[in-house]
Amino acid sequence: MDLDRLLTARGISRREFIKLLTATAVTLGLSASHVPAMAEAIEKSVTKTPVVWLKGQLCTGCTCSSISSLDPGPEEIILDLLSFRYNPTIMAAAGHVAQMALDETVKAGGYVLIVEGSFPTADDRFVMSGGKPMREKLLETAANALVVIPVGACASFGGIPAAGPTGAVGVGALVKDMPIINLPGCPVNPRWLYGTVMHYLMYQDLPELDAYNRPKMFYGKLLHDNCPRRGRFERGEFLTDWNSDEQQDWCLLLMGCKGPKTYTDCPQGLWNDGVNFCINAGSPCSGCTQPEFYAPGFGDTRVGFAPLYEKQNSFALPGIGGIDAPKVGKAMAGVAAAGVGIHLVARTVSGSKNKREGDGV
Amino acid sequence: MAQKIVIDPVTRIEGHLKIEVMVENGVVTDAWTVGTAARGFEILLKGKDPRDATYVTERICGVCAGPHGWTSSVAVENAHGAVLPEAARIIRNLIIGAMWLHNHPLHFYHLSALDYLDILAVAEYRGNDPQLLAVKDRIVALVKQGDTAPLTPRYEPDEFSVRDPEIVITAVAHYLKALEMQAKARKLSAIFGGKQPHQSSIVACGVTIKPNAQQIMKFKSILQELIKFAREVYVPDVLAFGTGPLLPLAQAGVGGGEGNFLTYGVFPLADGSTLFKSGVIFDGKLNDRQPLDQNRITEDVKHSWLKDEPVKHPAEMDTVFDLDKEGAYSFLKAPRYEQRAMEVGPLARMLVQQPPGFMNLIKEYQIKIGAVARHAARAFETLLLCEAMETWSEELPALLAGKDARIHDTEHWKPPKTGTGQGLLDAPRGALGHWIEIEDHKIKNYQMVVPTTWNFSPRDEQGNRGPVETALLGVPVPDPDNPINIVRVVRSYDPCLSCAVHLIEADSAQVRKFRIC
Repeated sequence: MDLDRLLTARGISRREFIKLLTATAVTLGLSASHVPAMAEAIEKSVTKTPVVWLKGQLCTGCTCSSISSLDPGPEEIILDLLSFRYNPTIMAAAGHVAQMALDETVKAGGYVLIVEGSFPTADDRFVMSGGKPMREKLLETAANALVVIPVGACASFGGIPAAGPTGAVGVGALVKDMPIINLPGCPVNPRWLYGTVMHYLMYQDLPELDAYNRPKMFYGKLLHDNCPRRGRFERGEFLTDWNSDEQQDWCLLLMGCKGPKTYTDCPQGLWNDGVNFCINAGSPCSGCTQPEFYAPGFGDTRVGFAPLYEKQNSFALPGIGGIDAPKVGKAMAGVAAAGVGIHLVARTVSGSKNKREGDGV
Repeated sequence: MAQKIVIDPVTRIEGHLKIEVMVENGVVTDAWTVGTAARGFEILLKGKDPRDATYVTERICGVCAGPHGWTSSVAVENAHGAVLPEAARIIRNLIIGAMWLHNHPLHFYHLSALDYLDILAVAEYRGNDPQLLAVKDRIVALVKQGDTAPLTPRYEPDEFSVRDPEIVITAVAHYLKALEMQAKARKLSAIFGGKQPHQSSIVACGVTIKPNAQQIMKFKSILQELIKFAREVYVPDVLAFGTGPLLPLAQAGVGGGEGNFLTYGVFPLADGSTLFKSGVIFDGKLNDRQPLDQNRITEDVKHSWLKDEPVKHPAEMDTVFDLDKEGAYSFLKAPRYEQRAMEVGPLARMLVQQPPGFMNLIKEYQIKIGAVARHAARAFETLLLCEAMETWSEELPALLAGKDARIHDTEHWKPPKTGTGQGLLDAPRGALGHWIEIEDHKIKNYQMVVPTTWNFSPRDEQGNRGPVETALLGVPVPDPDNPINIVRVVRSYDPCLSCAVHLIEADSAQVRKFRIC
């Protein structure tokens, strides 16, 4: 079936189709010049790309986030762009019928595998499904996938469960020899997910990835460098009281912000149809796109971001670029760390209006 | 002859759940509810900064995201001795209220309706409504294309399934509209919440955002859209189904249970009371509503994969995993109130509240306690909440006027050396309790009893079943290959499994396993 017949059969005009793709491109932060490539990619594959969505130790927040996009809307995503063959939260199927749908999809191959949630290494019995450890289901399903996309902090690096007693890890710790694109965040932002999937379908290749297998198009920049409150930081104006009208848009460093160490495009891409993001709501960044999120587990050597509402110790040392930054953009992070120290000192020396700022250094 | 049916995992719910039932002569004679996954939140919080609990427990559930962080912040405030400023109370009510407007229609259209509709009846639509015809074309095209995922595959429709093409096509059109509306409800919540799922602005002792006039305007305008949808589409649909094609199911009280209800109340008001009141009902005695006394709550781990400890108040529990324990079959604990298993959720709230409209509805149509009544209660409380949210959004600007209007009790922000606190609020799915103990400025113990632990609890020390285990007794399963009534009952509770379970090995070929993936 060619694209035009397909569109006609589905009651979509070619104009509407191009409109959908343009909206998709814009929302995903891609230039409209990508639209012809997108159209061509879809034309080539003609039928929707099958998607299998597996779940480990999770909260279902990433599934919910993926249908919280408004442009393209959830209806287009579910019915027009992708074919959800297996997603336990939204599919109609139940019982053996659903299992057969999954078996058939896996057998046929050629699907995108999306994984939500972490996997326990302390004991398989911490996540069972259909009488089987989810870990085994993951390995079987990954083996025949085109590409494996762990979504959210848990599936990427273990997330919050990694701080717990189940020895939770991300997909990359278990699945070897497969192309993996990590899309961390708590939850994943729908732009990151659909942008990555569309990119993969358009170019049949992985987007450019960083050392943690995150697409650079979304995770390539340090939040701190693009923060709307960066000017306040430069002036040494740090929020210590959420009630103060004067401090409303001051830097959240002293409230525990992990922006100086977090790679994400939140300040540009925003959340929920562009309506907000944590820092614009006065909340310190928790660093949910980083492997350090949230805290080390038992016998885990990661540094961790806990406590979340206290200034990071590693940000405090003035003039020492000793921030244990990831390899990616190390230089940039070093500059940031030094900057944090210098600005705090400057503020304190010049006589701060807020006593607690001085305490913080 | 008795036959065991295993449904694992149950789909269109939050988390991992397994249901086992014994069926004899076409009805359920025994049932076990099994939580099949665990992350150990209570354990990982030990030794952490108490304020982190708000952020971390928020991640227990991403569906109705918000209520956990909210309840946790109340517990931490209680331990810190903080007093919540009025504006923060209203902002929290609006952030969380938006999530109820998200949760309730989503539960009806996207998680439940597919159990009641014969979707493919859409092809038989013969009307002329251009919008409905567009829906028909769309679904028929998917069928022609041979790719109707995720609407199929499914359990086969039965005698309770709605097949009238006109009703089905309207419902499908609303299913699609509701998809857009649930995304809008998330957006609404994010205006004050930072983002959704997992808002960031509710923190211990207050909120982090002081909304400006433009944000309040935007909030009110999207709120109006959602209220319009609830009033004109969602609630009428639930009522039309409940008093129309599903009336026999409603009057038969399928999935009724013991009639014990508990609610902590929720949405704090200025006078210290709550929009939905707290209370307790035993044995379906609706004329004998009793006040709630949280000291009468106990927890029991006899059948849980947790190290044995005596039956005691949740705040005193320890929570240590023991995966090899004899006789255990679920990761969930068994909470009880005066030793009774209690149903929590919308039906509990509406039966304790007894708003005239709801009581008249169930009286007029002779609707018994059961799966359909739960859907009706959920719809009805949505209407009450819509009204309250309009009022709160009107009240907010005055509370934010004046220099340095308060949204946070910053004096009590630093964790005290010691303290204990509790947060008791209802989440959309029912009574949610958090208990915290602070020692040396750190969390010494953190315990939670979540709604699904109440509803889907395993048997207790006395061998008494959990509420859903009881509600499944007597449910008709004429065809063991198509146990659709079981999932109807289970889903009517809107389960949210964030704790976990493992399964009992099903023995022999007699066991039918349904992976409701």
